[in-house]
Amino acid sequence: MTMNGETEENLRDLFEKFLNSEQAVEDIRKGERILRGHTAPEPDGELTTNIKAEIAASLLRKKENTFRRIVYKTVAVAAGFIILAIISVKLFETKIVQPERPVSSSIIPKAVWESECLADDSAESATLVAEVEQIESDLLAMRLGENGGNGHEAITELELEMELTDISSDFWKG
Amino acid sequence: MAKSNDLARVISGCKSGNAESFSEIVDIYASRAYGYFYRLTGNRETSDDLLSELFVKLVEKIGSFKGGSFDGWLFKTASNIFYDYLRDKQRQKKLFDVQKRQFESETIDAKQSGSEKIDELQTQLGRLDTDTRELIMLRFYSQASFKEIAAMRSEPIGTTLSKLHRGLKKLKKLMEQK
Repeated sequence: MTMNGETEENLRDLFEKFLNSEQAVEDIRKGERILRGHTAPEPDGELTTNIKAEIAASLLRKKENTFRRIVYKTVAVAAGFIILAIISVKLFETKIVQPERPVSSSIIPKAVWESECLADDSAESATLVAEVEQIESDLLAMRLGENGGNGHEAITELELEMELTDISSDFWKG
Repeated sequence: MAKSNDLARVISGCKSGNAESFSEIVDIYASRAYGYFYRLTGNRETSDDLLSELFVKLVEKIGSFKGGSFDGWLFKTASNIFYDYLRDKQRQKKLFDVQKRQFESETIDAKQSGSEKIDELQTQLGRLDTDTRELIMLRFYSQASFKEIAAMRSEPIGTTLSKLHRGLKKLKKLMEQK
């Protein structure tokens, strides 16, 4: 075994600079001569073969792990994109909220209910109400005999009721 | 120059994950790294384990080598592995001084046990403190310059020179006394 470091460095300069001793250089050289004179045992051939096999196996594992890491990363990124896309679709989806339609009564005809002309509806209703009230008033008077024997005998109670029914029917027919 | 170019090519191959390049690195450095571990532990089995660990670490950390002295970088890793091994032993023994004495005496006793043939140098190295022994072995096996060794150990170059001088002087004395 040779001492490359020894040739690269000027030991004498180093030791004179730091230890200021010629003897130190000699001590170092003698000590290293002793080391060179006693060689350490060499590693077994089997040991180095096993080390090389272990290194090859370790490199293989490293490559497999690298490949697996790449696959996991790709899958994670893809999953991230999918989740992001789903969230984006949910967030930006334009949802028009329709107001609930009021439940209309079956008694009132649809044409009247949906008519936007409130003035017309009111006039018609007022006319109807006035007619119904007039008939009701006539009917009541007749029952009470207010107009008995004064020229209205021909109008019977039945006729009045029929007239009332006709008016109502005409109204609801439009 | 050709040698350093070859080494640069091999290191580049290692960085690319080429198994052949790692095999070349093992062929180049196994002997020196094994000597380093053996002289520090005095035990072949432990040296086998530490050498395997060094090359496994090399595969893991080759990407962090950013140029400069590869020998220095590799032996810095070897040094860390050795100190990790010592710390692990210390954890097991709980008490540093007791463990250190035992570790050093194990090195010496190994010769007496006859399970391994230990040379005189190994016996006398066991009488040095761990830090000095590691410094001497780092200098000898890594073949790094004193400047690099001082940087590896994060200490001034004067301190490194002084410690190495004292350690080698003591080793020489011990070897002469045998």
